[in-house]
Amino acid sequence: MLPLSASASYTLPFVGPGTYLIFGIVLLPIYIMLVAWFAGKPRTAKKGLLGVAYLVGLTTGLWGSLFVATMVILYLFF
Amino acid sequence: MSTGTSPEAILRPIHTYSRRYVATVAIVLALIGFWLFLYAQQLQHGLIVTNLGDWGSSAGVPWGLYIGAFIWWVGIAHGGIILSAAVRLLGLDTYQPVARMAELLTIAALTCAGLFILIHVGRPDRLVTSVVPAWPTRVQWSPLMWDVTVITAYFVLTATYLLLTVRYDIHRLREQLPDAFEPVYKLLMVDYSETEDAVVERMVWWLAFAIIIMAPLLLHGGVIPWLFALLPSMAGWEGGVQGPSFLSIALTSAVSGIIVIAAVFRSAYGWEELIPEAVFRGLAKWLGFFSLMFLWLQLQQVITGVFAAPTTLQHATEVKLATPTYWVAIGLVVVALLYIFATVLRPSLFDIRVMAVLSIGVLLGTLIEKTLFVVEGLQHAHFQLYEGVPGPYIPSIVELSAIGATVAIVAMFFLSVSKVIPVVELHAVEDEEEVN
Repeated sequence: MLPLSASASYTLPFVGPGTYLIFGIVLLPIYIMLVAWFAGKPRTAKKGLLGVAYLVGLTTGLWGSLFVATMVILYLFF
Repeated sequence: MSTGTSPEAILRPIHTYSRRYVATVAIVLALIGFWLFLYAQQLQHGLIVTNLGDWGSSAGVPWGLYIGAFIWWVGIAHGGIILSAAVRLLGLDTYQPVARMAELLTIAALTCAGLFILIHVGRPDRLVTSVVPAWPTRVQWSPLMWDVTVITAYFVLTATYLLLTVRYDIHRLREQLPDAFEPVYKLLMVDYSETEDAVVERMVWWLAFAIIIMAPLLLHGGVIPWLFALLPSMAGWEGGVQGPSFLSIALTSAVSGIIVIAAVFRSAYGWEELIPEAVFRGLAKWLGFFSLMFLWLQLQQVITGVFAAPTTLQHATEVKLATPTYWVAIGLVVVALLYIFATVLRPSLFDIRVMAVLSIGVLLGTLIEKTLFVVEGLQHAHFQLYEGVPGPYIPSIVELSAIGATVAIVAMFFLSVSKVIPVVELHAVEDEEEVN
């Protein structure tokens, strides 16, 4: 395996190519956006937090509702 | 951009109920109902009711139309929000009247992409039971988990973008919006004050910045093609060309989708002034450019696939070239490109209805191309893995009905949302008002 995709054995399975590829590169524009929300001007902490609440709330809502649906399926059919 | 129309014009869909609207809803619901009936069969009996085989039948194709349609919908989703982001970041104000439709298309198309994964995994609860417990460790290693992660992020960014931008419009148009949706508006307007506009506009600019980098380059030109390009055992899937190739198809299909939706709204609500022909001419030029990219990248793959390629890649490419539906796909894109070229030379040839029909053709072509890509990669794997697997893969009615249903879901989404919020941003008309 290429060094780029290999990980030291003591880091397994928590460090792999996805660690730098997804969290380091692909999601980088989101980190920059979040810093800009709270660092640039004009800004208010309240609106910045509203934006963060949307991001967190939508993610939780999306997977939370899928989780609830899954529990309903398991309860009704299995 | 100012379109010279009154703000009331953008509220027309909210205040209009026509027979045509009701008939469209009925057709859309019938398509969804037909698919639900067949999907119930799939839930009851399993994927056996589709023509997707395990690696013992259907020429070894367990990924077929469902996965082809998944890629297709994600592609359509991309261009939508990219167009909207470009309006904000690059000042492409000509397209302001269709920016929100593009955002809405992104949300609806991403939902359909997710639905195809849900359908494809068989038991719907598998989506959660397979992904959630495994995510903390597998996201470091599995391209499938990367895909789920980045698509979730993309969906959330797009929805946040819409939720933040719609506040401005609702505040100013609240008196003219229907009271029946008051709880929805209250929720959308939580903690609103006019002083927030400048702050939110800047936040949305940065959202657009994040989206325009992440969506084309890192998602549809990255994580999605990596689902295939990182698997060297499938001839025709691997290689760095897949990133730009996927991206070209995404942009081509997305601009087509926007042209179709904008043309439908323009025709249905008499929005000739609100969405002037210049918008369609501009979109057509973009479609022409992206179609050219699409064809150029197809040429790249064909030439590298037939000129001294590894044996399996050569075989897969030769089979692709001998498949009539592949040429149908290419032909549909070529016809649209030729028409656009002709209208540039002779502008009087341009007709929005013709452009919309050709755009539907391009959408069909890109769906065919992506499905063939998935299927043929599996059929012609290295080491002739599935040489002895009998039968061809032809999508079943269960799978085909899902395509119809997802198109219907997108239509239903637009039919519903257009009754609650303006599908054209107030900015598209108010500049003129202010000047006057």
